Amino acid sequence: MNDDFEQKLQRQPLRPIPAGWRAEILREGRRVAVPETGNTNTVSPSKLNWRTILTNIFWPYPRAWAGLAAVWILILTVDFSVRDPAPARTEKSAPSSPEVMVELRQQQRLLAELMGSSQTREAEPRKFLPRPQTARAEILTA
Amino acid sequence: MRRGTELERLYDGHAQPLYAFLLNLTRHEADTRDLLQELFVKIARDPELLAGVRDERAFLIRLAHNAAIDWMRRRGTRDKTREQFTAERISPFAPDANPDEQTFRAALAGALAELPVEQRAVVHLKLWAGMTFEQIAEALDVPPNTAASRYRYGLDKLREHLRPIYEEIK
Repeated sequence: MNDDFEQKLQRQPLRPIPAGWRAEILREGRRVAVPETGNTNTVSPSKLNWRTILTNIFWPYPRAWAGLAAVWILILTVDFSVRDPAPARTEKSAPSSPEVMVELRQQQRLLAELMGSSQTREAEPRKFLPRPQTARAEILTA
Repeated sequence: MRRGTELERLYDGHAQPLYAFLLNLTRHEADTRDLLQELFVKIARDPELLAGVRDERAFLIRLAHNAAIDWMRRRGTRDKTREQFTAERISPFAPDANPDEQTFRAALAGALAELPVEQRAVVHLKLWAGMTFEQIAEALDVPPNTAASRYRYGLDKLREHLRPIYEEIK
């Protein structure tokens, strides 16, 4: 069914593959080849699978992953450098001497007394003062 | 050792048609080499890829086609200087001492470059890889009718482009 034009196109010889590529490509293929199982020195299949998965993820874009890792390291470094001084400062400012502790306890006791007295004043129920019956009757008639 | 020889067998059996196919799609020799190496490295790293494959050639062509499409996307976004890329283009055909034939091949290479990549792939596989539409359909993951229609459209465009020079040297 091919016409003359198609046959003419089919007859055009293609450029041959450069001979030197074979050795280079096969060498690279052997370098990355997964070792065969059954060999005592080989890695276990589960590790092999993980390695294959990780290689498949990272290999195509090594620069992009390296850049991403560098950015994370930078972020973590900045984060730690900002966060580090804060706990040190609180440790330094913590009361340590006995005088300060005594003073603090006294202040706490005073505060507790004040709070306690005001609470008791507020919490006291109004005392019931019974009135004489005559006084009650006056109120009702008024 | 066995895997090494298996890789050699694959290379010796398929590297030439894969190279020609990739070169026709990329028109860039260094990038074709990278893509071809990437393909064989992929198989070396995971030999199970070929397990259960009925048609080795069609499967390898599919890998090559996918790699070339990815490459074109990368190139398209990366390359700002299209003129420079055009200047680096090489023909997928062997040079010829006969000036008429050489002119025809250069014109054919130019006309092929004008085809959309999917038509170019089908035309290449049909004419120069000797594949049937069923094999092409399997390799490119399209229905056989689509492969056939892409071939017809592509061939008609080539005929139209090359008619003057073809009539002249016929």
